[in-house]
Amino acid sequence: MDIGWYLAVSALIFTIGAGGVLTRRSPLVILLCLELMLNAANLALIAFSRMHGNADGQIFAIIVMVVAACEVTIGLGIIVAMHRRRLPIDVDEMRELQG
Amino acid sequence: MTALKFFAWATLLAPLAGAVLISLVGRRLPGRGSGYVGTGALALSFAAAIGTLVKLQGLGEEQRQVVAVAWDYARTAGVDAQLSLLIDPLSVFMILVVSGVSALIHAYSISYLDSDAGYVRFFGYLNYFVFSMLLLVLAGNFLVLIIGWAFVGAASYMLISFWYRRETATRAGIKAFVINVLGDVGLVLGTFFIFKHVGTVDFLTTFEKAKTAFEPGSADLTAGCILLLVGAFAKSAQIPLHTWLPDAMEGPTPVSALIHAATMVTAGVYLIARMHPLFELAPSAADVGAIVGCLTLLVAGTIAIAQTDLKRVIAYSTMSQIGYMIMAVSAGAYAAGLFHLMTHAFFKALLFMAAGSVIAAMAGQQDLDKMGGFKRAMPFTFGCMCIGGLALAGIPPFSGFFSKDEILLLIGDRGGWYWILYAAGYVGAFLTGVYTFRMIFRAFYGEPVREARELEDGHLHHAEVHTNPATGEIEDTEVGFPGPEHHIAERELSMKFAMSALAVLATVGGFLQIPKVTHVIDHFLEPTFHDSALYERHPSDGLLAFGLVLGAVCGLAGIAVAYYVWVKNPGTSERVRLRLAPLYRLFVNKWYFDELIDALVVRPARWFGNFAQQTFERVVVNGVLVGGSTGIVRSGSSAVRAAQTGFLRYYAALLLLGTLGVVFYFLVAA
Amino acid sequence: MKLDLSIMLFIPLAFGVIGLFVPERAAAKVALLSTFLVAAYAVLYVVDFNSSSGALQHVTDETWIAELGIHYKLGLDGLNLFLVLLTGILWFACTLWAGFQEWEKPRYFYLHLGIAETAVLGALLAQDLALFVVFFDLMLVPFFFLTGIWGGAKRVQATMKLVIYTLVGSLLMLTAAVATGVLAAAGSADLSFAFSDLAQHPLASSSQEWIFLFFAAAFLVKMPAFPLHGWMPDGYRNMPLPVLALFSAVLSKVAAYGFLRICLPLFPDATQHFQTLMLLLALASIIYGSAMAFTTTEARLVLGYSSVAQLGFITLGIFALNSQGAQGAILQAFNHGLVVAPAFFIVALLADRSGGSEDIRDMGGIATRAPVLATLFLIVTFATLAMPGSSNFAGEFLILLGVFQSKIAIAIIASTGVVLAAVYALRLFIVTMHNRTGPRVESRELGVRDGLVLVPLVLAILAIALYPQFALKRSEPTVTGGTPTLALKATP
Repeated sequence: MDIGWYLAVSALIFTIGAGGVLTRRSPLVILLCLELMLNAANLALIAFSRMHGNADGQIFAIIVMVVAACEVTIGLGIIVAMHRRRLPIDVDEMRELQG
Repeated sequence: MTALKFFAWATLLAPLAGAVLISLVGRRLPGRGSGYVGTGALALSFAAAIGTLVKLQGLGEEQRQVVAVAWDYARTAGVDAQLSLLIDPLSVFMILVVSGVSALIHAYSISYLDSDAGYVRFFGYLNYFVFSMLLLVLAGNFLVLIIGWAFVGAASYMLISFWYRRETATRAGIKAFVINVLGDVGLVLGTFFIFKHVGTVDFLTTFEKAKTAFEPGSADLTAGCILLLVGAFAKSAQIPLHTWLPDAMEGPTPVSALIHAATMVTAGVYLIARMHPLFELAPSAADVGAIVGCLTLLVAGTIAIAQTDLKRVIAYSTMSQIGYMIMAVSAGAYAAGLFHLMTHAFFKALLFMAAGSVIAAMAGQQDLDKMGGFKRAMPFTFGCMCIGGLALAGIPPFSGFFSKDEILLLIGDRGGWYWILYAAGYVGAFLTGVYTFRMIFRAFYGEPVREARELEDGHLHHAEVHTNPATGEIEDTEVGFPGPEHHIAERELSMKFAMSALAVLATVGGFLQIPKVTHVIDHFLEPTFHDSALYERHPSDGLLAFGLVLGAVCGLAGIAVAYYVWVKNPGTSERVRLRLAPLYRLFVNKWYFDELIDALVVRPARWFGNFAQQTFERVVVNGVLVGGSTGIVRSGSSAVRAAQTGFLRYYAALLLLGTLGVVFYFLVAA
Repeated sequence: MKLDLSIMLFIPLAFGVIGLFVPERAAAKVALLSTFLVAAYAVLYVVDFNSSSGALQHVTDETWIAELGIHYKLGLDGLNLFLVLLTGILWFACTLWAGFQEWEKPRYFYLHLGIAETAVLGALLAQDLALFVVFFDLMLVPFFFLTGIWGGAKRVQATMKLVIYTLVGSLLMLTAAVATGVLAAAGSADLSFAFSDLAQHPLASSSQEWIFLFFAAAFLVKMPAFPLHGWMPDGYRNMPLPVLALFSAVLSKVAAYGFLRICLPLFPDATQHFQTLMLLLALASIIYGSAMAFTTTEARLVLGYSSVAQLGFITLGIFALNSQGAQGAILQAFNHGLVVAPAFFIVALLADRSGGSEDIRDMGGIATRAPVLATLFLIVTFATLAMPGSSNFAGEFLILLGVFQSKIAIAIIASTGVVLAAVYALRLFIVTMHNRTGPRVESRELGVRDGLVLVPLVLAILAIALYPQFALKRSEPTVTGGTPTLALKATP
């Protein structure tokens, strides 16, 4: 199969993920969408890896998955902590960074 | 270490040991314990000084300049400062006078200060003071000299503001200290000028090298010597750096005796005598010293006539007498100046002790206007005061007569414009007679005041509430002054002892150096001044006889005037005062020196401080420098801050846009 | 005896980290142990020091970042020996002092103190320009937190000023340091930041000049010197006192030391060129600092401005550019640190006794009830005003003599600073100890704990006063002969 298809699917998933991150207010959904974006990237990496017949891309993908797992763990941890403290689960409400 | 060096170190360190001992355990000693420890330390010191004298006289005349080194103090980068003592006839002469008279003053204080709450502290300070003075006169190089010099200033500060709850006392203390620091700076800079050429701070090496290192009339040497004179003037209360001395009367009376008689104010005289090889190479600097000494003796004499504070009268008389000494040593009459230094130490200590006794009887009151008629109530004190007064006024055969006349004789002998100084000296002698006996007559003659009458009945007067005579403020007795009892010479053995000893010395002290008869001091000091061109001089017999007669006549005339004005016709002084009102105002306001210094130095300094504080710091430093730099940072950061909305999705969008931008760039670039 | 400098250098940091894992009550004890070890090490170094050699001793030299030619090079010589000792002693004393007080989050407090000590020691010991810059900038970090977290009422503002001022200085210094290395390497093959290498490749005088100015700016801010002292009043007002004592006593000296270690040997032409400018700045610091010190009524600021003046004297000595001035400056740096730290401690004690106020108008008259405190304070006061007989005087004497030899007029004007010092130091003593007791003043004698901190420091002042040669003889070979090019000669 032509690499173009893989990339098209990857770009599609990435765009869906990015759109989700930008439009949704629930941190849970944002995390999900982030996952989508990461996996889109993974898809592209593996596709290229296959095309070049080189394992580097797959190793990259595995590392990304590890990082993603960590990130989800921490992200969910934060959300649970927020929930316990009865803070609103809404990213627009959390703006401590405002200068 | 030879016995000589041992004795010299013992002389120096005995008072220091006393001071340390008293400050550490003084509070645990019973009663007058610290007084006895302090006096004992001084007695030990005096004994060691005598030991030094004996050992020094045992050496051949050429070897009587011994340097004793303890350790390197700052020996680096071309500076060769060691902790060293110079033991020669001059320093031995000084330590004998200093430790001897100080020992008597200590003995006097044992009972005088008995009821003061600060008894222990007092003796600690007093011992430290004497240590400082001994260090000053024994110093073997400029650095140690400066250290002793400054220690004396610090000790005088502590003692002048001894009753530190009085604001007048603390102010007088800081004034004395700051003027003394000014003197220290003069001394330091003077040392630099000399060091620059000779490359050493050691005295003997300096004097040795100075002859070749400086050309005749060298500007650097003259500048150096004049700066040394600034130090001498500050310490010896010469115009215009004298204003601290009368204010120093805020301290307890034994302190005044110590400052005026044995220590401190004589330091300037010693300094000039010590530096004589330099001053003889820089004659114009020496002339400055002579002229200032002469001016001081006249100005101080006139002020003393108008003062009403008993101790201040004596203080101005000190200034005036130191003027004679400075004039003498600057004009090359070294032995005469030092001889006068010694006799002055005797009679001035005696006068202050007698004054202390009167002040004690007056419950701390020092105003002559409120005294009178103590003659019958205090016969011993009166006798001592008279002996001191006669010696001060230079009446034969008391000690001051011989020493003062010798100074003027040698000055006259130099001829030229020195005749002006000679004449001024005799005018000063007349003034001395007037103010000394004015003081005695006003305190002891006339109608007895209440305190004197009570004393005649055997009671000592105690004020119910003590007030500061200067401000009228109620005293804080917690710190000390004045204690519940007052101690007068008539009742206290130790005071009587000290005063009797000094009275004898003030009477016979002059016999050491009777013209044409005895030359003890001349001969003794010779080894120090062996290189001096001005030391051995033989004025004509005519001048000698004329001077002796004139001196006696001037003194007697002064006493006669005082007797006429203040005893015979008590109203006269009032009439004279009205007739000569402007002159009187000048004298009573001390020639306006305080005001002058205030306007020229203190106020500009304060103005500058306030300007720095209130204007410069606020406007330039805080406004422009701090405001400017923080302003830039602040505006920059507020611009950046505007971008920080805190919305997570806004950041994400920025991120995405950024990435897209990068991607787009690469696409286009490819 | 083998004494590794790295061990001393990293003890405070290591113990600070260890302190994070002990109970809160024990944090102070851990910190105390570490500062004691460092002080003991410092004393050992002084004992072990070979005072006849001007070369570096106890050298550690490892390549740190080979590509950039940065070495991890430490060494002791006459310039930094007594500053290391000062750091050791004062850190121990101030930690002891801090240990007697309660702090919020004590573990972090002592961690920051530890980091600060490591940074200061590092800056003093570093024999590599890049390493020096790293440690010099690291000094700011703990003080940022110490002021910002444990500071007084206006701590945020104070920290801001402090950080902006010193950061600007640090950035200039960083630029200058990089430029020095790069420009020096242009003449040779390898890039190296070690002082000994840099000194062998002197820069062209035009580049020396701007580099010198950049370094000077950083050092003058840190001191602080007039007119770059703008951060000082707020900074001093808001730092906790034990921290302030360290800042004023030690950190300012690192800046003065920087001139001696970096500017004089590496940029000799520029140093000559800017000598008069630097002397005038120092002079202005002396006069201005003194004038401010005798008009301000805040006890801390009296000491703060007096430090400005004293640092002026030290700068004066350095830029006399002869061995007398440099010897005086080194001695005076040690003396001033040893004197100003107990002075700040006494201010804390005084504030305790006047209802927490540090305004000298609220103080007064406590000498009667507290004679020991008054005596100790009097000794410190006399040392502050450099009374002859104190080691401070020996320092000032040498400094003024050095300046006198090179610029006579400046020496004479500077000597008025001595008189002004007498005024402000004695004024502080009198209005706090003498006169009438202030309305809210409660006179109390020194406690045993306070004595534990104060008495040894005062004894140290007395000891060095009796024998300043102890320090002078150890620094002389370096100043007159020794390392890279600091070969200053006395001009007789």
